[in-house]
Amino acid sequence: MATLRLLSSTFRYGDALTVLWISLLTAVVCETISYFVIYRSSSYKHLRSSIDKASKKLDFLKKPSGASATSKNPKKIDRFESSLKESTRDLSMFKFKSGFVVAVVLVVVFAFLNSMFEGKVVAKLPFHPLGLIYKMSHRGLQGDDATDCSMAFLYFLCSISIRTNLQKLLGFSPPRGSGNMGLFPMPDPKSN
Amino acid sequence: MKVDEKSSKAKKKKQQQQDDQKDHANPFMLQRFMDPDIPWDKDQLGDMLHWIRQVVGLLCGLVWGAIPLVGGIWFVLFLALSTGIVYGYYAVILKVDEEEFGGHGALLQEGLFASLTLFLLAWILVYSLGHF
Repeated sequence: MATLRLLSSTFRYGDALTVLWISLLTAVVCETISYFVIYRSSSYKHLRSSIDKASKKLDFLKKPSGASATSKNPKKIDRFESSLKESTRDLSMFKFKSGFVVAVVLVVVFAFLNSMFEGKVVAKLPFHPLGLIYKMSHRGLQGDDATDCSMAFLYFLCSISIRTNLQKLLGFSPPRGSGNMGLFPMPDPKSN
Repeated sequence: MKVDEKSSKAKKKKQQQQDDQKDHANPFMLQRFMDPDIPWDKDQLGDMLHWIRQVVGLLCGLVWGAIPLVGGIWFVLFLALSTGIVYGYYAVILKVDEEEFGGHGALLQEGLFASLTLFLLAWILVYSLGHF
């Protein structure tokens, strides 16, 4: 903590380091909570393995050429697709319920950072942001300098980049086969 | 004699098992990553492209911030460079059939958003801390 304070006071925009460390710590805490609540449970492991198996089999059956071409069976594909959808929905529900705790932690940390750095320029942007990015990067700041960066934008960048890569590193990222099949899946154009 | 034959067979078998184990134990060797003859699993290729994007994003962010390069054009350049590297890796080096992995779109967007945020974070942090 003392080193952090020293670093923050050494640099003009040392507050950026504080935001970075806090979001790093938050990501670790959130993943630890997720591990104990979600990833460690046997039902999560079972759901995940069934999604992996079903998506691999579906990929194999849907291959345009190869050994499976002769054994293509639309009924089989439909069966695997429906089982994959079901498992993905279950997994999303499972994560949704337990992810509530993580969301609370994130909101509390954001509120804490907001009170710490309200109206403060925590970093300088090397480009002029436009539209939505400008709104986010200039949130709560005085003055017209578009290159001033608020805590909200830096925290957003930190939390997305650190959390995504940490999940990937630990193997907690959502399975690839589950794309577009979560709680709110897109309608299938073929069914119309 | 029979005992000798048996022991030599056993040795050969053991050696083969060790070789097999070595092959399995070193899946992350550089040669394996560059060999177009080795088949790729969808997950393996996705992970590989994800990490390539992250490394390129982090390195570009650090270099862009250290020089410092200022202006939105450098963001576009990073995007083009990162996409070019990923495309070159799977299409030129590995020569994979992109249709088997969901097409160019699926492969090119693997880890894209995370690498964009990582690049911006590194660029902004190094620029802010190093030049003010």
